[in-house]
Amino acid sequence: MALQLFLNGLVTGLLLALPALALTLVFGILRFANFAVGALLTLGAYAAYTANVVLGLPLPIAAAFAAGTVALASLIADALVFERLRTRGSITLLVASMGVSLVVENICRFIFGNAARSFDLAVARPMRWNGLRINHEQLITAGVVIIALVLLHLLITASPLGRAMRAVADNASLAAVRGVERRTIARITFALTGALIGLAGVLAGLDRAIDPLMGWNYQIPIFAAAILGGLGSPIGAVAGALLIGVAEEMSALVLPVSFRQIVSFGVILLLLLFRANGLFGAKAIRK
Amino acid sequence: MISYLVTVVILVSIAALVGLALNLQWGLAGLVNFGVAGFVALGAYTLAISAPHVGWLAGMVLAAAVCAGLSMLLSLLTIRLEENYLAIVTIGFAEIVRILLLNLGELTGGALGIADIPRPFAGVTPAGWGDAVILAFALGLVVIVFAFSEALVRSPFGRALRAVRDDATAAAALGKPVLALRVRAFAIGGAIMGLAGALHAFFLTYIDPSQFTPIITAYAFMAVIAGGRGSNLGLVLGAGSIMLILEATRFLKDVIPGVDGVQLSALRLGMIGVGIVLLLILRPEGLVSEPKRRFADFFPPESEKA
Repeated sequence: MALQLFLNGLVTGLLLALPALALTLVFGILRFANFAVGALLTLGAYAAYTANVVLGLPLPIAAAFAAGTVALASLIADALVFERLRTRGSITLLVASMGVSLVVENICRFIFGNAARSFDLAVARPMRWNGLRINHEQLITAGVVIIALVLLHLLITASPLGRAMRAVADNASLAAVRGVERRTIARITFALTGALIGLAGVLAGLDRAIDPLMGWNYQIPIFAAAILGGLGSPIGAVAGALLIGVAEEMSALVLPVSFRQIVSFGVILLLLLFRANGLFGAKAIRK
Repeated sequence: MISYLVTVVILVSIAALVGLALNLQWGLAGLVNFGVAGFVALGAYTLAISAPHVGWLAGMVLAAAVCAGLSMLLSLLTIRLEENYLAIVTIGFAEIVRILLLNLGELTGGALGIADIPRPFAGVTPAGWGDAVILAFALGLVVIVFAFSEALVRSPFGRALRAVRDDATAAAALGKPVLALRVRAFAIGGAIMGLAGALHAFFLTYIDPSQFTPIITAYAFMAVIAGGRGSNLGLVLGAGSIMLILEATRFLKDVIPGVDGVQLSALRLGMIGVGIVLLLILRPEGLVSEPKRRFADFFPPESEKA
């Protein structure tokens, strides 16, 4: 039982890893926590639903379509909103991202209504191994996320683009002096993180019903994961996501299932009390 | 029609109270609170649970006190950290409140909520005057809170808060207790949100968790941004005009063909989002900008005193 929950927790954590990583990467460059992450995740699920169910395309192509759609939406939000408010401090950007989140969520609601939807996917019998149940959706999620994480890790640590991203996050003015343009890097970061969130939306849609508020359910765990790892730290976000996923699922051993979401919030509070910089030490104390 | 107008005025009053509270926290002290809906819900439920036992007035005091206490705790936890953390913790707080309200059935009635909440002066209200009494009560509450907020803005406390908001390091260097000021501002704002929740409960006499969605938070931000951060007068105007626009759009359904109820509500909520973003970009100072207060406003020259 406990081992089964642990396994489920790892898969949940992998799913959270993509948006948590997106949140932390954008934070690194623009210094604000983008509250639109949840709504963009919903958009990704609906984009994939449109490609998969309405247009009848296979799910992998639908996932690519979703990643592209959310990347485009992120770029638009950046061009229309975030870039214009860049000089006005992180609180203004936070509030603006709440506005963006309302707009995105309600575009989905306007087009698709409040009814729950799901992908066109054959139901398969879960696999059993030593008493553990693993269903196909979990395997797909784990595989896709692990591949995405490895690629992203290579991109960040071993490519000129990744080096430029890290340079801008570390010190934008110094990077500019060396000829790394912040604007271009910010655009690329938004497109990249948008694709990650879109992909996560598809995976979330495999796991649960698609409705306009689905992203909202991931919002708190995503933030908890990013804070746990230290806002701005990519490796931290992944580790944080795994810990939050496992903690949420394992909590079923001691708490009623309906209280699951409280776990993430509890983790945030404990962390802020005892180790405000997160496990991987980003600077959080303000001057 | 009359009762509809009464409803609109009371909704504006509730929005104005919530807005005044957020204006104090965010506009005056620079502390962003994304959990507004949670505090309003907490106020409403505290009142609904306690009022039948201790009376409406003590219930209101209790609602304000509970919200103030929790605001204080949350702000103490996060106030040393970057702004982003307070925002995240408050949004988490609102979510937790919602989950607890839904799941602590014995206390809160779960999804069914609590009915038959006693209104103020219910015993001495002549039959048929219920709406008039609650209307007067709501307006009275807004006037009192407005006067209180204005007094606060002009007081030394308000001046210190603005100083902390504009440059915390300089304020600290001048010996202002930055942390204590921020915690107090956040707690007072929380207390006012509790009162707004109490008014909400009095008016509807029936509350359930579905009434307290994050939309309340979005309205409040829209009101503060539209009215002008730091300006109480602008806030009341902002809250009023937004609620009127929102109420007016209810009738759009009769005008635009082929739009169903869900689509209309999506349109209205999306509009709020667009409004927040547009106002932030185009008119960050709002309808009524925060008055520039000079030294002489606080300490008139000797010649004028005579």
